Amino acid sequence: MSARMVPLALRVNGAPVEAMVEPRQHLADFLREQRALTGTHLGCEHGVCGACTVLLDEVPVRGCITLAALCDGHAVCSIEGLAEDAIMQRLRAAFSAEHALQCGYCTPGMLITARDIVLRLPQADEARIRLELAGNLCRCTGYAGIVRAIARVLAEAPAIARAPAPPTPPAPLSPPLPPPVLRLDGPPITLRVPLAAPRAAVWAALQDPALIAACVPGASLTEATPERIAGNLRLALGPIEARFAGSASLAYDAARWSGRIRGEGQDGGSGSRLAAEAVFGVEADGAEASVVTLAITYALRGALAQFGKRRLIDLLAAEIGAEIGRNLEARLRGAAPETTARLGAGGLALRLLRRWLRGLFKAG
Amino acid sequence: MKPAAFDLARPASLAEACALLATSGDNARAIAGGQSLGPMLNLRLATPALLVPLAPLAELAGAQETATAITLGASVTHAAIADGLVPDLPPGGILAGIAAHIAYRAVRNRGTIGGSLCHADPAADWPCTLSALGAVALTSDATGKQRDIPLDDFLLGAYRTALRPGEILYAVRIPKPGAGARFGYHKSCRKPGEFAHAMAAVLDDPGRGIRRIAIGATGGRLLRAATADAALAALASCGLDLVAQQMQRAALRQALQRAGLA
Repeated sequence: MSARMVPLALRVNGAPVEAMVEPRQHLADFLREQRALTGTHLGCEHGVCGACTVLLDEVPVRGCITLAALCDGHAVCSIEGLAEDAIMQRLRAAFSAEHALQCGYCTPGMLITARDIVLRLPQADEARIRLELAGNLCRCTGYAGIVRAIARVLAEAPAIARAPAPPTPPAPLSPPLPPPVLRLDGPPITLRVPLAAPRAAVWAALQDPALIAACVPGASLTEATPERIAGNLRLALGPIEARFAGSASLAYDAARWSGRIRGEGQDGGSGSRLAAEAVFGVEADGAEASVVTLAITYALRGALAQFGKRRLIDLLAAEIGAEIGRNLEARLRGAAPETTARLGAGGLALRLLRRWLRGLFKAG
Repeated sequence: MKPAAFDLARPASLAEACALLATSGDNARAIAGGQSLGPMLNLRLATPALLVPLAPLAELAGAQETATAITLGASVTHAAIADGLVPDLPPGGILAGIAAHIAYRAVRNRGTIGGSLCHADPAADWPCTLSALGAVALTSDATGKQRDIPLDDFLLGAYRTALRPGEILYAVRIPKPGAGARFGYHKSCRKPGEFAHAMAAVLDDPGRGIRRIAIGATGGRLLRAATADAALAALASCGLDLVAQQMQRAALRQALQRAGLA
């Protein structure tokens, strides 16, 4: 991937700065790595902890989810730039007096949020201060000292509290430990995929991993033996895109027309891990039709799990199962499957919508 | 925790941004405040080859008010709405009340109403509340063709919208409730500012003969209903587990009470 450096001209702590930055560099990294302003701390690096809070055009923002390149033409102020600020001087003294810090990691972001509270909410009581601090995590103090320190500055210095300049009006981690074994949890997702093909033909097809893989949208095989398959699976949903590389073991029980696939994979981009087990069976539905049954249990860990809520995954799995069924049916008829380049592409959204509506009407 | 490399476009106009998105296909993503996309980029859940910044575009800024509706530019921030810098809905500043409890102040200063709608996180505040308020997404594409899409048609499900390639949401139009209308919204979060585990918004507008209930944070598409009974029935059959259903019922009850319906 070729990313060009882009020019950036902005004010940092009052002084004009010109630099070249990678578009992907966030503001906190720009301040720390390029300007040596290491007072801005990085905690979670996805907008939750508040350690990286800095001022952009006078108002607090998350340094870790603000791209430096998008600050072109704007004014940034880090904790270093507030050394002489009248409110910050009072806050520093109050933080010391009230024991509002211990390890100090959250303190720069905490101070910038505290200053915003003093300026914007001169009438804030303890409850309001606590509410405003919800976006700055402190794991040492229990907040009692921080809240007292801010209340102290609000009480002793109402004169300096003023409404800040309104924001530009709208005029026009890699894991340090080896990952644990994923335990499959939750109730299984059960699917019944009806196929217009006889039981024996479906069963025979299920013995061919290459054929199955060709029916799974977004899947490609790198290795296939009767007991084991390896390959890749590409999945897209809105802005999220994952490429799982992994392998699975296969076991068949011909006497029961059933089998089991157990696999595990990792998305290199996000480091997310997925483990799943599918128990499948083929039932006859008359002489010319059959039903493939699936019971899937899975475990998802890592970044993707933060967004892949159970309900969402259940819906996706059902949709993907049905699509595999349609493709398998087409294969059994001798036609090429209508595979899409990746899961989640094409008409999936519309089908999910229809499925949802059907669910609603069934209830009514 | 650093994004994968991408290029940054510098569109000077809405039309230019549409054209960039249209020609770059799946490899490009629009970014406004970046408060939802930013974490996904850092976590490498999203790895676009090109980002197209929308926040600086004049066409997405600003706000308008008419006798029957207000229209907010897509790049209006949650903080601007919470601070009353843009027109709001009667009674009592409905939008400011919603905006004030989105995430945290530092996020509200960057995050935009349009970005939230287009990201379409099932647990986000604007999709659920604006759907109950009957809002309409105003979009434009590279050819200048504009569409007015009711949010119910715009929001297709988790992270999915009706936006076509190269199409950009430039504003959202929200009809003004009539005299005597009441609006109730409740969300259940483990901690203020976190994503909600349950949420419900209710508009009771007898003057216009409208009663709308929207339930969000279901993991999938919003649930919509016209009566509390229908909302409860939809909840019972939408596949949520019993704990989630109970949380949703509690949120619905709160929202109904605030709208004067329970």
